[in-house]
Amino acid sequence: MSPLEAARLYGTVAARTGAAASGTTDAAPAFAEVLRQELEGAAAALRHGEAVARAGLLGRASVQEVVEAVTAAELALERVTAVRDRVVAAYQEILRMPI
Amino acid sequence: MRLEASFAVAASGMRAQSARLRVVAENIANADSTAATPGGDPYRRRVVVFRPEPDRTLGVARVAVDRIAVDRSPFQLRYEPWHPAADERGYVKYPNVEPVVELVDMREAQRAYEASLQTLATARGLLLETIDLLR
Repeated sequence: MSPLEAARLYGTVAARTGAAASGTTDAAPAFAEVLRQELEGAAAALRHGEAVARAGLLGRASVQEVVEAVTAAELALERVTAVRDRVVAAYQEILRMPI
Repeated sequence: MRLEASFAVAASGMRAQSARLRVVAENIANADSTAATPGGDPYRRRVVVFRPEPDRTLGVARVAVDRIAVDRSPFQLRYEPWHPAADERGYVKYPNVEPVVELVDMREAQRAYEASLQTLATARGLLLETIDLLR
């Protein structure tokens, strides 16, 4: 599953739960929107990392540039997956709640 | 200040020091390169000049190679009348490269590179540890 697809799915799920919760008229962007932006940023970092790694293998980018881009991509992915795990865990916690 | 900004700075330091090491390699390799014509000038020692490079998007100062300048100090003269580059008095101009100086410069470049590498590794480790708090 690509990060963007995951972001879209999160968006739909969060929109549904947000509609169910309703009432909260906050000026700040919805969490789903923030998550989507973050995921898109991570996807862009990954794409950039891949592009630089490709250029490095072809001899057009220095090893340092490859390390910089790939490390940035790795960290962006780590951050996003950590947040996702946390969100999914919270969601499951709510699902398990006895009514 | 985002911790990711230190990656960019450390990586620029590594790039700058590798450029310096490349110049040292040129100097050492050409330590005996004489002129092709009699009495001509041999290889001239090169030195790398760094400058800070502000990065407006990240708000940090990277380092960049400003230019690769030449060392204007005098050449070494050796009496070698048999040499094809010897002048009419039998002296050959040898490059103004001092191998000991180059070795020290090389070691400095190595240490500075390692320092930048360590900065990058530390920033990466700290970020990963912070993210792990979410798990």
